[in-house]
Amino acid sequence: MMPIIDCDVHNDWSTAEVLLPYLDPAFRDYFIRGEQPGPPGAFPHAHRPWLHPEDFRRHDIQPKTEDEHYQFMKDHLLDKHNITVGILTGEEALEASTLANRYYATALTRAYNEFMINEWLPRDDRFYASMIIAPQDPEGAAAEIRRLGSHPRIVQVLMSHGSYRPYGDPFYHPIWEACSEMGLPLAIHLGGQGGINYSPIGSGPMTFYWTTHALLCQPAMSHLASSIAHGVFEKWPNMKLIMIECGVAWVPPILWRLDANYKALRKETPWLKRLPSEYARDHVRVTTQPLEQPKNPEWLHSTLEAMDGKNTLMFASDYPHWDFDDPTQLGIPKDWRDNVFWKNALETYTKIKMPASVAAD
Amino acid sequence: MISKADKVKRAKKHFNVGSADMSHGEKRIIDIDGKRIGIFNVHGEYYALHDRCPHMAGSLCGGPVTGTALESSHGEFVYGKEGELIRCGWHGWEFEIATGQCLVDQRTRAKTYAVTVEEDALVLHI
Ligand code: FES
Repeated sequence: MMPIIDCDVHNDWSTAEVLLPYLDPAFRDYFIRGEQPGPPGAFPHAHRPWLHPEDFRRHDIQPKTEDEHYQFMKDHLLDKHNITVGILTGEEALEASTLANRYYATALTRAYNEFMINEWLPRDDRFYASMIIAPQDPEGAAAEIRRLGSHPRIVQVLMSHGSYRPYGDPFYHPIWEACSEMGLPLAIHLGGQGGINYSPIGSGPMTFYWTTHALLCQPAMSHLASSIAHGVFEKWPNMKLIMIECGVAWVPPILWRLDANYKALRKETPWLKRLPSEYARDHVRVTTQPLEQPKNPEWLHSTLEAMDGKNTLMFASDYPHWDFDDPTQLGIPKDWRDNVFWKNALETYTKIKMPASVAAD
Repeated sequence: MISKADKVKRAKKHFNVGSADMSHGEKRIIDIDGKRIGIFNVHGEYYALHDRCPHMAGSLCGGPVTGTALESSHGEFVYGKEGELIRCGWHGWEFEIATGQCLVDQRTRAKTYAVTVEEDALVLHI
């Protein structure tokens, strides 16, 4: 059976109070007595102005207890689809990026990371994890990356794609530097569309959830362009940027546009040595979900070929969300399957050790 | 569309799936030889749908029984079909319980089965 590495598995909770034992005492009162964005147990964050009219979680999966969160994941994803490795991406902790108080934000992500290490990783040998940071606090985030970066099962650093400014900006370089030092890819995941983060939709907020969600590739376009243009991959040649749940098919045309403009205006960024698309090919990886579903799959395939999708795409299910991709239904060319379902991820996340049965094949 | 009587006639197996005590808007999910089927009561009539969504094979019946905003002009919201629709548990496509017809795509239909009431029991014909 083909191994599967699922690059976007959400380990949710029933209440954010699970973080309390791990929260720095200086911030515990904020959480207990401080103003909350919802009922007790709501994770402190600024909410986005688009509310999913049916909840963003799959309706057929409604865990009540913390144990059920794992049990349902095991039944509906890990066992059902024979997932070899699931990379945990957290859930609401990503939204710490929306808070103005950068110190509180970092304390919350630190509590989440400890919670995840202590209460999720031990549940299943198939789990590897992302550590979450609050990017509005680059120095605090960098310290957290150095604190946990050598954990054997933490394979990447994760932050929301909703942001204060584009992630190639020198403001964020302490984060890139710490990731590079610890040998961890830096990943962005859809989220963080509120609070101090700029409206993720150019031209102002859309009215509806479904249109917004479809257009949430916009911030990822900015991060891609900014990371390349600010020379992040020249400065830290071992770095990879991973774009999770940011859409896929837009990548090639944006790179074509970047290449064209760079050729004319190279002098704005004299530190670059290659075309934007060449940096992307070597340093940017894109997860599949939600993979676009055109009427004719060939249209998608030729677009994906233009980004060397066989070597740059990594499978993700986004379990247990409403736009979940089922691994048995993924519309990619047949001869890409081994690469996309596991080989590319294994090459990107060098800490992952495949079980002996796979290694032997 | 095939009539209910024809469906019953063509069915190979018939199962008693519990008492006919459901009310409008209620659903019951049953397992028959490993096949999950949703039984529904819509305005007093019984219907059954295969719990396998024609979109991506998700748990169709795992979603809520619901109504929806009917076709209307811009800025107008007319709620209707209360209890007549199932929203797929995965990506939320809406289907008419009675016919299996998908609301956003005329060519997509969920698999339906006939259910009859015999004495006080529900009988599923598959
Ligand atoms: S599987 Fe039912 S809507 Fe996608």
